Amino acid sequence: MGLREYVIRRLLQLVVTFWAFFTLLFVLFRLVPGDPTSMFILDGMTPEQREQRIAELGLDQPLHVQYVEYISQLLTGDFGQSFIYREPVIDIIIVRFMNTIVLMGTALFFAYLIGLTFGALMGWWRGSKFERGGIVVTLAARSSPEFWVGIVLLSVFVFWLGWFPSGGMRTTGGELGGGFLARYGSTDFLRHLFLPALTGAIVFMATPTLLMRNTMLDVLNADFIEIKKAEGLPERTVLYRHAARNSVLPIVTVMAIATGAAMGGSVVIETVFNWPGMGREMVRAVNSNDYPVAMAAFFLMGSVVIIMNFLADLAYVYLDPRVEYE
Amino acid sequence: MSLLEITDLKTYYRASDGWVRATDGVSLSVDRGETVGLVGESGSGKTTLAKSIIRLFPKNAEIVDGSINYDGTEITELTDRQLRKQIRWSEISMIPQNAMNGFDPVYTVGSQIVEVIRYHEDDTSKKEARKRARELFNELGIDPDRIDDYPHQFSGGMAQRAMIALALCLSPNIILADEPTTALDVVIQDRILETIKEKQREIDSAMIMITHDMSVVSETCDRIAVVYGGRVVEIADAETIMMSPRHPYTLGLRNAFPDISDEDKDLISIPGTPPDLVDPDEGCRFAPRCPFATEECWEVTPEAEDYGDGHMVECHRADEIEYLQEEAAKKETWMEQEIGRPDETPPEVTSDD
Repeated sequence: MGLREYVIRRLLQLVVTFWAFFTLLFVLFRLVPGDPTSMFILDGMTPEQREQRIAELGLDQPLHVQYVEYISQLLTGDFGQSFIYREPVIDIIIVRFMNTIVLMGTALFFAYLIGLTFGALMGWWRGSKFERGGIVVTLAARSSPEFWVGIVLLSVFVFWLGWFPSGGMRTTGGELGGGFLARYGSTDFLRHLFLPALTGAIVFMATPTLLMRNTMLDVLNADFIEIKKAEGLPERTVLYRHAARNSVLPIVTVMAIATGAAMGGSVVIETVFNWPGMGREMVRAVNSNDYPVAMAAFFLMGSVVIIMNFLADLAYVYLDPRVEYE
Repeated sequence: MSLLEITDLKTYYRASDGWVRATDGVSLSVDRGETVGLVGESGSGKTTLAKSIIRLFPKNAEIVDGSINYDGTEITELTDRQLRKQIRWSEISMIPQNAMNGFDPVYTVGSQIVEVIRYHEDDTSKKEARKRARELFNELGIDPDRIDDYPHQFSGGMAQRAMIALALCLSPNIILADEPTTALDVVIQDRILETIKEKQREIDSAMIMITHDMSVVSETCDRIAVVYGGRVVEIADAETIMMSPRHPYTLGLRNAFPDISDEDKDLISIPGTPPDLVDPDEGCRFAPRCPFATEECWEVTPEAEDYGDGHMVECHRADEIEYLQEEAAKKETWMEQEIGRPDETPPEVTSDD
């Protein structure tokens, strides 16, 4: 079976996965107790008003009708109206989604860049002071709660040194809008991005570092490493081109999962740094039974996980020639 | 002057309880085009000895004494960089035991051959290097187009041939072959050995063949060095080692392999295990397993003695050749209860450290 058939089949699997995911979301949201009107009852909403509101939202329809409606809306990219804001969900969520992606993307990028490099070196210099110190630092970073790391960074860099702003995404009064670059490339934005991204990087770094070190230790025992050394190749070539290149394979899968976890786990960092991201919006939506917003948030998060896994599978085929297309 | 002259080489490993003397005072010379076999059990130190020649050992190992002179160059004194650039692979290459694991699985076999050619020869273009890899494949009986295959797409025998191609690609003067056929089935073993010998003659390189298989060495080697406990206990030309060895260990090794011409011959194994090489005591290291050991063997480390034509033996009783050969052929001689220190005092179990 060739590469093309493999990709096509994985794409079909992707469609099935997405369908299962949609359905699960739909069912979950019908199972949760309460409805969008429950929080207004105390405010004096009459039963008639309540019935009317529910009918407006289409929640009085039989489930299968709701389901068909739901799927067709998703396929047209229509996430509906927020129950609370009474605005299209897409307007509320998409900007926040991008904010989260930029923040977590930056954090993950640096976490994996630093983690893979240090993990590889720790494996290479096994038993050295560098390795032992590295393990202590990594474990400390791994055991620190995100909010605590965030608060420590805030107190050092903001309240003590005063180098960075304390939160938010841009200085009040700073211009908004424009293209993607104007939005996410300005110095002002980057200064705001630094601390929350650093917090994320510190927390996420441990997994790739330790995993990389472990796989390096395995790979370094392989016969081919000894042959590469016997060939006279320089240490750097053996380390990066052969040992690290082989060790990185299992990390690809972990990275896909970690990205999903980072999207979901962003809420703590977003709260500490007052970052207008999707995690916070999702929590708000769930608390106020704002189905469409919450569902859209879950939908985007889940999609990231599914798509990352798909990409990881493709990357794996590219990186490891031994993978069979099955 | 020989191509390779090893004198009193000592390669030790640092262990938690002292130095492991994996190679302990070995002298060995290899001439141009000559094949020398290193035989011995697992753990006898034969691999460490061979890898010491290109200083290929883990970080906790070290050449503590002795000299390795390769064609006028003192290998023990080279810097790492000189060693990599001047000696490794271009002068001394190796064929590993398991070729399947000898190639990096994520690159094609051809690209790995090209990599090593291009590293050692600055003026060779990628195209020329590829051409050479294809030629080598062709000569070794592999379809040249397969240089673009990955290692896992090769069968065991083919991978070993590809490994030989890799070992030969810079026409080295010495090839270290570390049990090159043990991972293969018997039918292929013979063909691979023939191929190695043929190519070796073609480029006139010397070879050090490491094996525990007496039949392999007798077929392929000009001279055989028997390694025990980190020392070369007997060395002579292949015929002498096979037909009239003097060291009891060699006699024992020979008993442990089947002889096709003599079907009735029982296989006799040597009781016991190779010695612990952490700070060994004085005395012959084979004495605890030797049916002929006397008080002297336990007390005094035997020196190498020359029995003519370069036949060196480290044994106090090597001059009693006829008696030894006759007794060693009997199964009763090698019974466990017959062996031990003659003066009835039980061997000391605790070490004094």
